[in-house]
Amino acid sequence: MERELTGKVYDIQGFSIQDGPGIRTTVFFKGCPLCCPWCHSPESQAFAPQLAWMAVRCIGIETCGRCLPVCPRGALSPGDLTRNAASGEEIRLVRIDRSSCDACGACTRACYPKALEICGTDYTLEKLLARVLRDRPFYEHSGGGVTVSGGEPLYQPEFVLRFLEKLKEQGIHTALDTTGHVPADVVERALAHTDLFLYDLKQMDGAVHRAATGVSNERILDNARLIAGRGGKMQVRVPVIPDFNDSDAAIREIGVFCLSLGAAVEVVQLLPYHNLGVVKYQRIENRGKVLEAVPPSEARMRTLVALLEGLGLRATLH
Amino acid sequence: MYVLSPVTDRVAAIREKYRTAKPSICTARYRIVTNFYREHPQLQGILKRAKNFRNICQKLPVLVNPGEVIVGWQATRYRACALYPEISFGWFLDELTAGTIPKRDTDPYDISEEDTRYLLETGDYWRKECLSAKVDEYIPPGYFAAAGSGVTYFGTTGTCSSPTGHFVANFETALRRGFGAIRAEAEEKMRDLEGRMYGTGAERYNFYRAVTIVCDGMITLARRYAEECARQAALEMDPARKTELLEMADSLGWIMANPCRSFHDAIQCMFLYQVGLCLDAQQHGISFGRVDQYLGPFYEADLAAGRITAAKAQELLDLFYLKVAEMNKIWPYFATLSGPGYTSGQLMTLGGVTRDGRDATNPVSYMMLQAAGRLLLHDPPQSLRIHKGTPPELWDAAIETTRIAGGVPTFENDDVIIPALMARGLPLASARNYCLIGCVEPQGCGDEWACPGGNGTESFFNLLGAFLLAINDGHNPMPGPDGRRGGRVGLPTGYLYEMETFDEVLDAVKRQIEYFVGWHVSLVNTWEMLASEHMQLPLLSATIDGCMESGRDVMKGGARHNSTGNAAIAIGNIADSLAVVKRLVYDERSVTARELYDAVMADWEGHEELHQRILGEAPHYGNDDPDADRFARWATDIYGDAINAATGPRGRWAAGLFPVTAHVLFGMSTAASPDGRKAGTPLSDGISPVQQMDRAGPTATLRSVSVIDQKKFSNGTLLNMRFHPTALASESGKGKLIALIRTYFALGGMEMQFNIVGADTLRRAQEAPEDYRDLVVRIAGFSAYFVELYRASQDDIIRRTELHL
Repeated sequence: MERELTGKVYDIQGFSIQDGPGIRTTVFFKGCPLCCPWCHSPESQAFAPQLAWMAVRCIGIETCGRCLPVCPRGALSPGDLTRNAASGEEIRLVRIDRSSCDACGACTRACYPKALEICGTDYTLEKLLARVLRDRPFYEHSGGGVTVSGGEPLYQPEFVLRFLEKLKEQGIHTALDTTGHVPADVVERALAHTDLFLYDLKQMDGAVHRAATGVSNERILDNARLIAGRGGKMQVRVPVIPDFNDSDAAIREIGVFCLSLGAAVEVVQLLPYHNLGVVKYQRIENRGKVLEAVPPSEARMRTLVALLEGLGLRATLH
Repeated sequence: MYVLSPVTDRVAAIREKYRTAKPSICTARYRIVTNFYREHPQLQGILKRAKNFRNICQKLPVLVNPGEVIVGWQATRYRACALYPEISFGWFLDELTAGTIPKRDTDPYDISEEDTRYLLETGDYWRKECLSAKVDEYIPPGYFAAAGSGVTYFGTTGTCSSPTGHFVANFETALRRGFGAIRAEAEEKMRDLEGRMYGTGAERYNFYRAVTIVCDGMITLARRYAEECARQAALEMDPARKTELLEMADSLGWIMANPCRSFHDAIQCMFLYQVGLCLDAQQHGISFGRVDQYLGPFYEADLAAGRITAAKAQELLDLFYLKVAEMNKIWPYFATLSGPGYTSGQLMTLGGVTRDGRDATNPVSYMMLQAAGRLLLHDPPQSLRIHKGTPPELWDAAIETTRIAGGVPTFENDDVIIPALMARGLPLASARNYCLIGCVEPQGCGDEWACPGGNGTESFFNLLGAFLLAINDGHNPMPGPDGRRGGRVGLPTGYLYEMETFDEVLDAVKRQIEYFVGWHVSLVNTWEMLASEHMQLPLLSATIDGCMESGRDVMKGGARHNSTGNAAIAIGNIADSLAVVKRLVYDERSVTARELYDAVMADWEGHEELHQRILGEAPHYGNDDPDADRFARWATDIYGDAINAATGPRGRWAAGLFPVTAHVLFGMSTAASPDGRKAGTPLSDGISPVQQMDRAGPTATLRSVSVIDQKKFSNGTLLNMRFHPTALASESGKGKLIALIRTYFALGGMEMQFNIVGADTLRRAQEAPEDYRDLVVRIAGFSAYFVELYRASQDDIIRRTELHL
């Protein structure tokens, strides 16, 4: 028998209100072809499950320590002493040897305080649909729906396209948060089931784009044109990253491109860089590059919003 | 977009005075009442109460403070409270003797040495004379075995430490007819009965006689205030204030005896009647009802006739609110723990539908929110009735107000409350005209005597307490009234480790709940038997629909509609405890009943692994997990059905699910429980999930709490949610909060209230209270200044899960 189709999800967030109209439930799919150093969800980058470690939840191996003996690869050992924020007591945390860990999850099942968790769960279509449909009354009263996000959700195209299709069969408003860095035929297929694209544009200069994210922007721009040409609706999202695209010129170029897409672009949302991602990098001890920079000031952000408005676009600070 | 306009200088000055004046105790009422009672042992029942009230109206000093336009007061000093020795006084004398009253960690009151001496010299008279002492004498002996159960509040003495209260008068009648007309009607009824007092005629005659006396009292009080305003006007040098004082004298000389003529008359009449009710009955959750419905027509008529401006009317309303905020009442220390922050629960209702089902919003609805938002007062609390036709502008104003003024207003669902009230016997028009009493208790406005606060006591029912007795063969692991631990106070239902199936556990819990509902009802009904002899309420009965027709006081069942309210707490804890026991012990069999029992009885000491496992792995109510949510439904059904089937002298009982802060107070005396809760820590709040166990976000929480059949709880349900202020920073955030409320209401939710404040801000306020003097937070059905709360209550608010939009 053929193996049932599953999608790898790293989070489902109810009452999500920043990802499209109304009250939404956002499903975050794991895996992304880009590796932006400012990514605020580093756990979304790898497709494979990862062991996440939240030190603040650990109650210490003195009182617990259940994780240590259950690891089949011996990847866990006693680690640093630290002061527990809640009790004020000195406790010893665990240390994870990432080179030995294969994210089997044995330790997470032993960890009651949920300091250790596996990031990345397989969902069947049926199970995921059942979960998001539970929030249906909230969609109906708020003009909301389901947002599919990531990672890059379209890197699991078979599952995600089927999921979007099923949602539309149920009459649910769908939003697709995408990097745009996917094959054109996938975008074309997604168009039929997507009411709104939350479309990321980062940089118009292809070389600069490649240097930072690991991929060029050609495909991204082509897909944006494709969506616009087919009557798709977009909210363009621009992360404003220090020394990458925070100049007037870089933002203006993005604005000019958005203008060329015509009525498809409902709004351009500027998202200021923030460093909340840093703590998440620590959780999975991602050894990749992490940007630690000073977030742009609110005044600077307002200037950039005004710049886009000056071009005749609707722009907001997100 | 909704905007607040600035207050006038006069209002700002009075508000500042209000925030800086420390509440104190005034003995004026006490002295008048003590002398009256000592001099009139021959008087009993309703006539004694009526004459006592009139005597207060004749003798209590009148107080018109600088700048006030709306007047009336219960004491001789600004922000001082009166004493009510005829209700309950032993607790007061004990606290006075201990010298703790000015130094308590919550709601302290100053008291002069001379007053202290006088009270200690004369107070013993009341130890036997007060209603509470009488009730104590009548406790059924069988209850002594059940006292200290941790399920009901009652001990073996001082069982009535809180008063008659939790009601709303019929203000429409007071404003539109006046006490002159009511007095005339009562006299006519007396004439009809004279010489013809067959059957219950003598009792009815006596009731009407009492009504004429209290009407005289009310009219007298107004006239004395009129005289004081005229006296001050004669001395006043400022011509503007002089004119104002003369206008006040004119209004006070007219109202009460006659129907109100203007917006000013109506507000003054409403407030002075309220002061009268408090002077008579002891202030305690005495609510105002549908203020916008009473005042709206007066305002619109004045405006049309050019007699008032919008700004002037708003200032009058502000001054009225400041008078209400100023009122307070000293409670026993332990009762204060369940209602801290100087709240007097004088709830006001706005919005909703009219008796014929149309949207009831009028300009005063907006003025009420404006007053709450720009004055930043902890009192009066306000409830906004929501229905399908609530105007978007009113939604907008309400959301903005709740953001600024910690939790004011609460949101109440007409679609659930109206049918719930009809199920308890109100006809459609009356149910549509409901208002909220005290905290969240729905009641017919002016035609029902519903005793939603349980008629004279802190009427809370601790479901977790019943659960713990059920698994412990009826023994309470916590110390009883005699200080002994482990006494048998409940039914001998066996120990958890003796129960072979989960159904046996459910059966034991059900039996304990029903057993204590039976005792709770018995004690409150006993209280009512005595209170209806000694503490009738003729001043209230004069306006409540039904009493004048029937010739009976509300306490004797004279109101058109009747019920008795109750409220259960610890819904989250009992749901989680049942879910844990079922999953771990009977389904998975991963823990033996004995292990779990031992861990709970040891307060988890030495059982940390099991404790962590339960907190982390077991199902918890509030996460849209049917394995836990079904037990919230099950336990509330058992409780609700038992209460709703109970009857009192005047009719049926009505169940509710709200805690005020009784969940903190009861938590202190509740042992550890299988949900992972430690002994002495707060119970869950209202119908909310256990603190920090709601991990799946607000939509999941709302679906979970909707599992409870809320229509069954016509005495009110309460759901607190706390959002970080960033949640409401944008217009779209506000729209989404509105959609959230609407969805919850469509799912069957009855009531919802918010704190829009970050934990970071609350912690800073704990560190530097002087910088956060005006930070208002939601407690339950009322709000308080955060810095005035005691620490455990502050911590409980911080522990409520914070949501980001």
